Amino acid sequence: MRALSYTVAPSAEAAVARFAAAQGSARYIAGGTNLYDLMKLGIEHPAHLIDVSRIDGMDAIETDGDILRFGGRALMTDVAYTPVVRDQYPVLSESLLKAASQQLRNMATVGGNLLQRTRCMYFRNGAGSTSMVGVYPCNKREPGSGCSAIGGLDRTHAVLGTSEACTAVAPGDWPVALMAMDATIEMLGPEGPRNLPIAEFYRLPGDTPHREFNLHPGELVTAITVRKTPAGRASTYHKIRDRESYAFALASAAVALEMDGATVRTARIALGGVATTPWRSRAAEAIVTGSPLTPELALRAGRAAFADARGGQHNAFKIELGARVIADALIIAAERRA
Amino acid sequence: MPTQAFSEIARVDARDKVLGRAQYGADVKKPGMLYAMLVPATIAKGKVSALDVAPAMETPGVVQVLGIGDFPALRAEISYRGQPTALVVAETVEAAIEGAEAVTAVYETAPYIPLMTSPGAQRVDAEGFNAGDVDRAFQNAATIVEGIFETPTQHHNAMELFGTVAEWTDGRLTVYEGCQNLDAVKAALMKAFELSLDQIAVKSEQVGGGFGQKSPPKMQTFLVAHAARLIRRPVKLVTPRGQLFHIANYRPRSVHTIRLAASAEGRLQAIIYDVVQENIPDGGFRSTGYHEDIARLYAIENFRATAGDIHIDRQMPRHTRGTHPFPAGFALESVIDEMAYKLGKDPVELRLEHEAKNDIIAGQPLSPHFLNDCLREGASRFGWSRRLPEPGSMRLADGTLVGLGVACGIFGASMSASEATLRVRADGTTRMISSGHEMGQGILTAIANVIIQGLDINPDRLEVLLGDTTLGPQLATVGERGTASCVPTAAKAVEALRARFAELAGANPPAGNLHQQLARLKRPYIEVKVSELAPGQDASAIEAYRTGGRAGTGPDYPGFTSMSYIAQFVEIHIDATTRRIRMPRAVSIADVGRVVSPRTAKSQMYGGVVWGFSTALREESEVDPRFAGYLNDDLADYVMAVNADIGEVDVGLIDKPDPRINSVGVKGMGELVMLGTAPAIANAIYHATGKRLRKLPIRINDVL
Repeated sequence: MRALSYTVAPSAEAAVARFAAAQGSARYIAGGTNLYDLMKLGIEHPAHLIDVSRIDGMDAIETDGDILRFGGRALMTDVAYTPVVRDQYPVLSESLLKAASQQLRNMATVGGNLLQRTRCMYFRNGAGSTSMVGVYPCNKREPGSGCSAIGGLDRTHAVLGTSEACTAVAPGDWPVALMAMDATIEMLGPEGPRNLPIAEFYRLPGDTPHREFNLHPGELVTAITVRKTPAGRASTYHKIRDRESYAFALASAAVALEMDGATVRTARIALGGVATTPWRSRAAEAIVTGSPLTPELALRAGRAAFADARGGQHNAFKIELGARVIADALIIAAERRA
Repeated sequence: MPTQAFSEIARVDARDKVLGRAQYGADVKKPGMLYAMLVPATIAKGKVSALDVAPAMETPGVVQVLGIGDFPALRAEISYRGQPTALVVAETVEAAIEGAEAVTAVYETAPYIPLMTSPGAQRVDAEGFNAGDVDRAFQNAATIVEGIFETPTQHHNAMELFGTVAEWTDGRLTVYEGCQNLDAVKAALMKAFELSLDQIAVKSEQVGGGFGQKSPPKMQTFLVAHAARLIRRPVKLVTPRGQLFHIANYRPRSVHTIRLAASAEGRLQAIIYDVVQENIPDGGFRSTGYHEDIARLYAIENFRATAGDIHIDRQMPRHTRGTHPFPAGFALESVIDEMAYKLGKDPVELRLEHEAKNDIIAGQPLSPHFLNDCLREGASRFGWSRRLPEPGSMRLADGTLVGLGVACGIFGASMSASEATLRVRADGTTRMISSGHEMGQGILTAIANVIIQGLDINPDRLEVLLGDTTLGPQLATVGERGTASCVPTAAKAVEALRARFAELAGANPPAGNLHQQLARLKRPYIEVKVSELAPGQDASAIEAYRTGGRAGTGPDYPGFTSMSYIAQFVEIHIDATTRRIRMPRAVSIADVGRVVSPRTAKSQMYGGVVWGFSTALREESEVDPRFAGYLNDDLADYVMAVNADIGEVDVGLIDKPDPRINSVGVKGMGELVMLGTAPAIANAIYHATGKRLRKLPIRINDVL
């Protein structure tokens, strides 16, 4: 048995202090839906687990003021079914409900979900030999060992934001919706609290694919905020996958619109399942902004989002599929305008 | 021949399953039991030149490590990735895992061929088959349809993993594990450990899905038994799914080239069929089996088949639910559909017009069957008549493409000789000792229903026993012959018991049910033991059954051949923009002879449609040729159908007895029910899009 300490943190401050004391061998844990999985796969080997799932108040869901504020340990299920979120921000609610399974959503937190690691099979199947029969090289898991996905079975891999070192796709749905809604991440670290726009939270793989988040050592996600906007209502999270539930996106789109009649006044478009990070497409937004939305224009916007996309051996279909998912999402969102 | 239909009873083990009381191999706990974990090879081919087990032995909790040389199955020569090189036994499963991960190996690698498309892969031809004059038929043909069809490598993925518990008591070995052929496991263990009959017991009370993967004896059974004997403590091994992908058998990838000829009058005349599959030398799944069942499906008199294997360096492929008729039927039923378009015929009509009366393989009549009833009933329930024939002609208001497809399936109705012992007691209980394995298919319920409907007994105090070698011989529950073999034997036992009772009670039997009558006659119980044979078998079949020999036969019996049939109808919707494929509706109608347990039979059919859907649109075992391992070796990445994928499924059974196969007229259905759905889906996708897809699984990228 590998020795492991487990402590329950009574407050965010206490959790951060404990993490600092562990000197790098600790991990925060809440629902454990990703971390335990990675530990069983032999990818994560923490010596200390600091449980943040019982921190008082960190599960609060506040919707009264000008912003929506979701505590870092609020459950995916609870946020998804919050009436204001469900009724006025379907993009947020749908991104949560189309993820994982009900059982997982009942355990997983919206803060932890931001940090979910890639489903790249070469990443996951490379470390342990008992649960999986792997030993596949992976730069993300073992920097410098090489990328097996490039030139391999890459059907589910990214076509945007890739590098020579990594093409692993960002797995999340919720972060894509947050990207469209310009969310802010609130963190607490050894140096104190810090806020970061979600657009600055994720890192492109470049030649350091093992560094995925702009999170300083010991920083804990304490909350996520979204500024209230009428764009929330005319919004959707459209997700296409290999089966109707319990699967990650082949391509997804988070779209939120402000409309003047049939004309798009502002558009927010973010993509999932196709890029190495949750992916905002200003190019697609520019195509539809100021014009009446037609299916043809929607598809043109979709194609614009993939202008710089690069397909691998088996995933080039995502470039066309992704464009069409955006097109459908634009139409669905527009139909929801008040 | 009983003509009466059976009424429906609840699944007899439903309550135990819902309450978690049903016992599977891995549920067994023994005092002092240790836990084991295998160590898989991480090369595809070559040799282990050094295996270092010392770090595993130093892992706290590890008790014993078996390595290469410690047991014959642990070989230095590696012939597939994942091949076990060691077994680590520990006080806890966690220590066993940690110990297994601490074992290191040094390998000498050899070149390998991971896929049938890999450079250097070569075809080895097998025996062919010919009936009629194929060349002449093609020369005279007015219409020819041809295509190359491919079905992928797929794993069974039963819910229950391979779980084995072995315990030695005074030189006597007891093994608990999920399997489909206890007698084969027993015989192999007796040979390996030089045991006599009274020194071995193998128990498989409940099996969490077999599907063919649990038919052959498993290497792990021997390793665990050997470890338990060495250490003198019970040992349990539950092999993780990632390893099972690499060491358990699987459905081989296969490629089918098929040509179908029709006359100017629209009669189907001839088929030329070639198949090649991935296999290992002397593999247990023969390429010569593909044409056998599909050649019997329609009245097509001229048929030439050729077959071959391409040898690969992976573990052995074997039987998987639907076996040969699944891939072969995908090819045949796709070209039949294409031919219907070419001939301007409705695909249901074309099939109805070619009802087979003869088995061209055995050269004899087919037993009367009801495929055409399946087609008519299915068409009626499905509303086939609303189908517009032109591809791409049906759409929903939102632009969704609609496709309606049909296809049939056929599977040999084989049987085995078997025995049963039935005892009715005055105390109100009844016990039936039967044979076989309950894998969820409902064999216990079917046997119980025969007894309940045949005898006036307390139905809730009836015990049906099987799945344990100490009860007697246990027939291999494979090739959908379990229920079809045990039910006629149960019916014979019921008749024998009634006769025995009539003898006992005389002309004026006392009042009450059988138990009460026995009490009044002051008899504690009456018991009968019977054996039943498949058509054409003699007493030697029972001898084979008792001694672990080949007791099975069919589907070609002396003078006739018996097959099970199914017709599948599906509605497919394809999103106008993203091309997402969905199946809102399916109708499945089967001819399996007399239906003995309507509820579990219907349950099998629902599961069969789901499996068929999953093979058509979801499942593929992905091998990266650079490593020869299965990359998607878990249930997240090996995509199987989930509940949200499945629309409304309407199932029906013709429920007419096969008059020749056995006294009850029952045929098997476990394999059959998954057939036909995949080609029906591919045909519906063609109907929706005009695109003929010949390679499974069909995914969104194929219809974009």
